[in-house]
Amino acid sequence: MSEIEGSPGTSMHGVTGREPVLAFSVASPMVHMDRTAKFDLPVDSEHKATVFKIFSLANPHMRTFHLSWLSFFTTFVSTFAAAPLVPIIRDNLDLTKSDIGNAGVASVSGSIFSRLVMGAVCDLLGPRYGCAFLIMLSAPTVFCMSFVSDASGYIAVRFMIGFSLATFVSCQYWMSTMFNGKIIGLVNGTAAGWGNMGGGATQLLMPVLFEIIKKAGATPFTAWRIAFFIPGWLNLIMGILVLTLGQDLPDGNLGALQKKGNVAKDKFGKVLWYAVTNYRTWIFVLLYGYSMGVELTIDNVIAEYFYDRFDLKLHLAGIVAACFGMANLLARPFGGFTSDYMAKRFGMRGRLWNLWLLQTAGGAFCLALGLVNSLPLAIAFMMLFSIGAQAACGATFGIIPFISRRSLGIISGMTGAGGNFGSGLTQLIFFANASFSTEKGLSYMGIMIMLCTLPVSLVHFPQWGSMFLPPSQDIVKGSEESYYVSEWTEDEKQKGMHEASLKFAENSRSERGQKVASAATPPGNTPNHV
Amino acid sequence: MEVPAGFLIVSLLLSCFVASSYGVYFSSLNATLSVTATPTQGQVLKAGEDQITVTWGFNQTYPVGTDSSYKTIKVKLCYAPISQKDRKWRKTVDLLKKDKTCPHKIVARPYAASNNSFTWTVERDIPSATYFVRAFAFNAQDEQVAYGQTTNAHKSTNLFEVQAITGRHTSLDIASICFSAFSVVSLAGFFYMEKRKGKASK
Repeated sequence: MSEIEGSPGTSMHGVTGREPVLAFSVASPMVHMDRTAKFDLPVDSEHKATVFKIFSLANPHMRTFHLSWLSFFTTFVSTFAAAPLVPIIRDNLDLTKSDIGNAGVASVSGSIFSRLVMGAVCDLLGPRYGCAFLIMLSAPTVFCMSFVSDASGYIAVRFMIGFSLATFVSCQYWMSTMFNGKIIGLVNGTAAGWGNMGGGATQLLMPVLFEIIKKAGATPFTAWRIAFFIPGWLNLIMGILVLTLGQDLPDGNLGALQKKGNVAKDKFGKVLWYAVTNYRTWIFVLLYGYSMGVELTIDNVIAEYFYDRFDLKLHLAGIVAACFGMANLLARPFGGFTSDYMAKRFGMRGRLWNLWLLQTAGGAFCLALGLVNSLPLAIAFMMLFSIGAQAACGATFGIIPFISRRSLGIISGMTGAGGNFGSGLTQLIFFANASFSTEKGLSYMGIMIMLCTLPVSLVHFPQWGSMFLPPSQDIVKGSEESYYVSEWTEDEKQKGMHEASLKFAENSRSERGQKVASAATPPGNTPNHV
Repeated sequence: MEVPAGFLIVSLLLSCFVASSYGVYFSSLNATLSVTATPTQGQVLKAGEDQITVTWGFNQTYPVGTDSSYKTIKVKLCYAPISQKDRKWRKTVDLLKKDKTCPHKIVARPYAASNNSFTWTVERDIPSATYFVRAFAFNAQDEQVAYGQTTNAHKSTNLFEVQAITGRHTSLDIASICFSAFSVVSLAGFFYMEKRKGKASK
């Protein structure tokens, strides 16, 4: 996107699912290509790639993609590494159910703050150092597990490891410096989904490592500590790879390049104001807490659940739990795809219904998961739940770019933080309490998911409508321009700061669905010189 | 025929929801075995070092012939109620196949009415908790038919503790510190070197 470079919000501006998922390349004549540049992929005038070749390692664009999603994947592995080993750890450290629950809450709480700070860090140091700093400084926290000897130490270490989940921000930021805005949706959605898979991979990896180390002669209470060295080494290795093989921008690193020209910055206070005063922001913060949030919660509790309730061996419980997280490979992009598909026919109303359907279905399957007593049914409902919840995550970011043009970055960041907050909350209410069992907790969580998804029906866009209400018939109020330009004051409009919003408004007319052709252009709103 | 097939599928699905309740219930067993163990009330044993000597036999106050079906004896280390608190994975359930009170096996022996004894070193994977010892008698179909334990029916007397190993080792601690230091130092080193290269090229 040819945006004001460096303005607040651009650090997160890649986090969209707006572009059709099947857009593997940019074919638009509006993108100015630079055909003289010598890169392996075709690039635009900013040297951002316009083509997404998944299986290439071409420097710098695709190499960045792989370094980026692998770093995010590694932090997921480290953050949830304890979860499948809890049956062993709880005996070693003499943990109670509330200790285990509190540790789960701690593991997702740290990144609420670190994700909010990470954007600024990327702006200052570049995404390469932002990412490398985070994973190399969290490697010691992973190694610290070998020192833990009681509940408070366990909770503290899991809290510190959890900070590393902010690589989500550096990952998305880095993608947006390397890939053109028209394909950034697919690129970021894929990177986020593949990174989230780490939560599944760790459920498989850690029990296997544990068994191997035990076979090599260690006692269980030592073997799990040794197993933790592997995620620690992964952090280290990825950090070194990022530093040696990565670069901040297509043309080089931030420090080596000269900073370009005038940077017109938007005021952070204003951007924050428009994010916070838009009620839709808060509805999506809540909603993401019950799609991404419950996904993180399940990553923490599901292996122990299958171990205890169905008497599975540790590594079998891990395999089952891994299937939940690994579904992200396809489920999250699927959610983005269905969102775009519904939008083609029904516009934004289709996107909202799609999100409600996917997330509510996820909740219903979560309720069922807690009710069944047979293993095959439990696994089936778990998989259906995973598809519902993860597709809902993808669908959420198909709508978020339309809430605001000016404050997209902050809204994306707040939504992401809301996901972690929802995870901490559900773990605290349903899984840290000794008064009801894990299966009851799962069922209640399913009910809460369904209840907390209902507010999506309140999200109303005057220009496109909502789930139950049609768009406004008023020519002025019912236009995209009026909605997006309302974020700027008259003074700012005089200075022409709203130009990008106008362009976006014009492009967003596709959210009317198949009625695009019949939409009347409101008089006087679109300046002639755009 | 559609109706029976549909009925079959529905009843199959429903049966998955119903917990299977077949099996032996603890409340149906009699304490016909007398079991004693060497630890005294409140004694603390160290995992991996200290030993427990268990002796068991048929309680002669019961009628002769009660033990005719007993084929094997399994002696187990069981959690006392205080160690089950807030820990649902150690819960006592009457249906024995779902019961998690006694997960640690001490020894399994063919049944003999008297003169049974075994000395066991507390293994290194036994967690820190309060315990008692219980022995189950199994019949030829491998079902529990009787039991005996070192504590009373309320599980409140004659309980002993085990202090587990920490699992920590000095070598692990040192390795951990080394790798952590390496991580921080290499990061700082890279940063410093690139800053210097940046300054030098200006």
